[in-house]
Amino acid sequence: MTDPVTDPLLVVDHLAISFAHPRPAVNDVSLRVGRGEVLALVGESGSGKSMTARAVLGLLPPGARASGSIRFRGEEVLGLPEAELSRFRGSRIAMVFQEPQTALNPVRTVGWQLREALRAHAPVSRAAARARAVELLSQVEIPDPEERLDHYPHQLSGGQKQRVVLALALAGEPELLLADEPTTALDVTVQAEILALLRRIRDRTGTSILLITHNMGVVAEIADRVVVLQQGDVVEEGDTRTLFAAPQYPYTRQLLASVLRLPTPDDVPAAPLRGVPEQAGTPALRFSDVHVRYGSSRRGRAFPAVNGVSLELAPGRVLGLVGESGSGKTTLGRLTAGLVPLAAGRVEVAGEDLFSVGARRRRELRRDLAFVHQDPEASLDPRMTVGASIREPLDIHGVGTPAERRARVLELLEAVRLPADVADRRPRALSGGQRQRIALARALVLRPTLLVADEPTSALDVSVQADVLALFRSLQQELGFACVFISHDLAVVHQVADEVAVLRRGEVVESGLVADVFSRPQHEYTARLLAAVPVPDPAARREPAPLVEVAS
Amino acid sequence: MRAALATPKGVAGLVLVGGIVLLGVLGPLLAPYSPTQQVPGANLVGPSAAHWLGTDDVNRDVLSRTLAGIRVDLLVVFLAVPAGAALGMLVGLVTSWWKVTDVLTQRVFDLVLAFPTLILAIALAAVIGPGTTTIVLVVVAIEVPVFGRLVRTSLRTVREMPYVEAAQVVGARPWWLLRRHVLPNSLEPLTVQLALSMSVAVFIEGAMSFLGIGVKAPDPSLGSLLKDGTRLMYDAPFLSLGPLLVVVLLVLGLLLLAQSLSEAHRD
Amino acid sequence: MLRYVLGRLPSALGLLAAASLLIFWLMRLVPGDPVDTLAGPDASPEARAAIRAELGLDQPFLAQYVDWLGDVLTFDLGRSFVVGGQVSDLLAAGAVNTVVLTLTALALAVTLALVTAVTAVVAQRRWLDALLAGINTVALAMPTFATGLLLVLVFAVVVPVLPSGGTPPDGFVARPDIALQYLLLPATCLAVPVWAGLSRFLTEALRSQLRQPYVTTARAVGVRHRRIVLTQALPNALPSAVTVLGIQFGTLLGGAVLVEAIFTWPGLGRLIEEAISGRDYPVVQVLLLLSVAIFVVTQLVTDVVHAWLDPRIRIGGAA
Repeated sequence: MTDPVTDPLLVVDHLAISFAHPRPAVNDVSLRVGRGEVLALVGESGSGKSMTARAVLGLLPPGARASGSIRFRGEEVLGLPEAELSRFRGSRIAMVFQEPQTALNPVRTVGWQLREALRAHAPVSRAAARARAVELLSQVEIPDPEERLDHYPHQLSGGQKQRVVLALALAGEPELLLADEPTTALDVTVQAEILALLRRIRDRTGTSILLITHNMGVVAEIADRVVVLQQGDVVEEGDTRTLFAAPQYPYTRQLLASVLRLPTPDDVPAAPLRGVPEQAGTPALRFSDVHVRYGSSRRGRAFPAVNGVSLELAPGRVLGLVGESGSGKTTLGRLTAGLVPLAAGRVEVAGEDLFSVGARRRRELRRDLAFVHQDPEASLDPRMTVGASIREPLDIHGVGTPAERRARVLELLEAVRLPADVADRRPRALSGGQRQRIALARALVLRPTLLVADEPTSALDVSVQADVLALFRSLQQELGFACVFISHDLAVVHQVADEVAVLRRGEVVESGLVADVFSRPQHEYTARLLAAVPVPDPAARREPAPLVEVAS
Repeated sequence: MRAALATPKGVAGLVLVGGIVLLGVLGPLLAPYSPTQQVPGANLVGPSAAHWLGTDDVNRDVLSRTLAGIRVDLLVVFLAVPAGAALGMLVGLVTSWWKVTDVLTQRVFDLVLAFPTLILAIALAAVIGPGTTTIVLVVVAIEVPVFGRLVRTSLRTVREMPYVEAAQVVGARPWWLLRRHVLPNSLEPLTVQLALSMSVAVFIEGAMSFLGIGVKAPDPSLGSLLKDGTRLMYDAPFLSLGPLLVVVLLVLGLLLLAQSLSEAHRD
Repeated sequence: MLRYVLGRLPSALGLLAAASLLIFWLMRLVPGDPVDTLAGPDASPEARAAIRAELGLDQPFLAQYVDWLGDVLTFDLGRSFVVGGQVSDLLAAGAVNTVVLTLTALALAVTLALVTAVTAVVAQRRWLDALLAGINTVALAMPTFATGLLLVLVFAVVVPVLPSGGTPPDGFVARPDIALQYLLLPATCLAVPVWAGLSRFLTEALRSQLRQPYVTTARAVGVRHRRIVLTQALPNALPSAVTVLGIQFGTLLGGAVLVEAIFTWPGLGRLIEEAISGRDYPVVQVLLLLSVAIFVVTQLVTDVVHAWLDPRIRIGGAA
């Protein structure tokens, strides 16, 4: 690694990027990447971190205007025409993207796409390209690389796709790798593998990495230095350890403070219970050997999404459902809300079987149920005002006079800490965090006894997420509803839940009090999940795994 | 929708369609002759001050016939298409509620749509004979499955939206979901199809009358005027130009409206 | 893949069966008794009954239908009421002309659509986009009968350089140069709406493919724009374009009726038009069924081609 100040590989000076909108996307960004260095560019959505990276490769969206200077090895690249830029793309600077599902061409094989990347820089024979492609796939540690060449992207898992994207980026042996949220769309165990791989690639090839991320845990795990962006400006930069230990700028401090942490083995075990203490009596929710199948059962191709789950939730308590994609946690939540059909078993809400009562009784039961969806974009009807959306459950059940309903709407807006004049706005005019608060207000308007929250904060920035979670916790304690809280993020569940159930492939692998499960996991899978969560503390960085030599 | 119509395309479409509607509505006032009146001595006269669009082989004034012909198209465009659309949406809405009727209706729609439009028109004309009623029936028959399908897909998409689910979870009845969320949010894409279907209706009227299975002689329609123009092509090539221009401008106007609506919808 | 194709067959066959039943039923509804036509006004009741029995019209509806279907499936299409002669002979003569016309138009439309859409997307010039979009909208707004009329007026009446109608007197093979002259106007006329619809769709599809992340991936490794369009965006846009083309095929069949009428092209379109005006129902019946069958087969073929072009369907098995 060279000194980024005296011998930088990439120098960005006073970069500004603007669109037709009044506010510039990037205001004034300067940074340097040294040879062999991993520099993390950190910020929340709208901070301009992705735009900065895209500007380096001339991949800004149409209509964007950039000024300032970007020099690679002293050569200006900003404003170069396309033909000139392709000298840099791939061969000197390469990029890895966030969404592995769409970053690969779905109708071309892996081998074809690798060959295309190789041919972009120099003419290569078919045989040579194939040999090099196999080598590249081995480098990103994909098993059976020969065989994988003839696969199409849809035949690979998410993690494997991201490895292929990485192999594409490495095809031109670049000196600088721009990685834009490369692990955000991945499950936590896969994330850990990809991060380790990135680190090994750096160690092996000396490639510099500019890592764009919002995740402080990822930063702590891999970065040598950090640049913090806020709304298009650099607010702080420094060595990772120093910055984590003594952040100077308030925004950095706030960012670090809002990062949720899992307890470490040294922490005092068993955090105090947050929900209402367990009471005897009818559970708010009980699953007895519940099965859900997806796909058409008629053609016999149905596969189980939930496979024999039994769980119980006492009134006033919060149950966290955690698991990776495909674990069935969302299906279980939707089942509780009556949104997917039950294949076998019983779902009891307040002691009554939700799926066998008559339509009338079920409607009554549903009055005590509420559902908060993951996507703040779509969870409110775009044609209704915020007030009308919050009031809707009251309208449905004909609760109170119009004046009372209006009063209740204002009451809830206050409860979720939004100003009263929001009631007359349309959802489009609000931020994601505000919309999720409104979705929460609507869910609570009928004073439900059971709330199902499906990843309610996963689409939000960390600082917003911290606010919404704090709000959720205080409302839960105040109103005392029971809650099924679904999340892929173990730290979030640790924060809000009393009990937790860990799901894998539609089955519960472990359940119990959060404090117990998280500090003393009984099941190997739970332990693996916990270990994979990046720790937002560079001092606790795990030693890189010993280099695995892959046959090539 | 208002924003869509304020774009250059939207304005051009409105002007074209509005202008032709006006011509059709005011036709009887503007036309110098009755559409079937035979003007003595004016046989296949070229465009002149007395006959702007000339006269045909039985001495009728083509301008007067064109103005009258527009009215047939207006009937098809603004009556038959909305009627077919409304019927189709009703059928689509009602039948998609139950699985059995849904599957059955979709199969029937498949069946109707398996006939190329003009072939279906020919078949129906064979059964009920030619005439304006036949044109209207053909247009309705074609639009019912088109809109029935569209409303169904639209419903399915909106029904899976989280805001609909949120209302469903707290106990909203189907009718409530339909009225409050599903219909208002699924109507917008239907306006695009409405404008498109209207342009198709002009095609159908023209094609049917052109083939002699549309309006009955001596009544004029844009299609039958073009048929006459084709017949008399060598004697009076100018005859078809007026009706041709009207047909093309009407379709163009409707297409521009459809394009402006769909572009606004996409943003 | 084979399973995918076989899975589509039952519904296609069911659709055909339902359509044949519908057509047969519709033709029974037609006013006027064919017995009147054949027997003449003065025939005795016995003679009428004999004709009725000979035509099988005294049988119950379903029996008549089964009979007819059996005949159709064995290509025993009966005799034309009006023109006389075997229906199958009439069909065979018309079919050659119609197939030549529609295939020429289809080839013309597809080639031009590919060229215009790819050129517009590769060139990325504002003026070219505007020009092509303008031509495209006008082409979409031109009804086939209007295009045909205009083409004849311009190229056969005002500037008489091409024949205004009819088929080449020496057939299509003997003098291809003359055949081409005869084909040019009607095929162009038939191709215009198909080209307009397809090129519009393809341009949009290519543009939306270019907004996909995989294109950014390709650009980021240094692949040139033109190469991305041709080797990456186009293969992704093709499957749905094939489906659109399949739907357009219905327009082509309907359009053929009009084009053959305008250009006095003795094909199946002319045949059905004449059969309708002459109330020649055995001919109408078979032609209706044929057009539905062609449409259903086209849909099946486009489905299969779509599946074959898309590895997600062809191979299946998401990991």
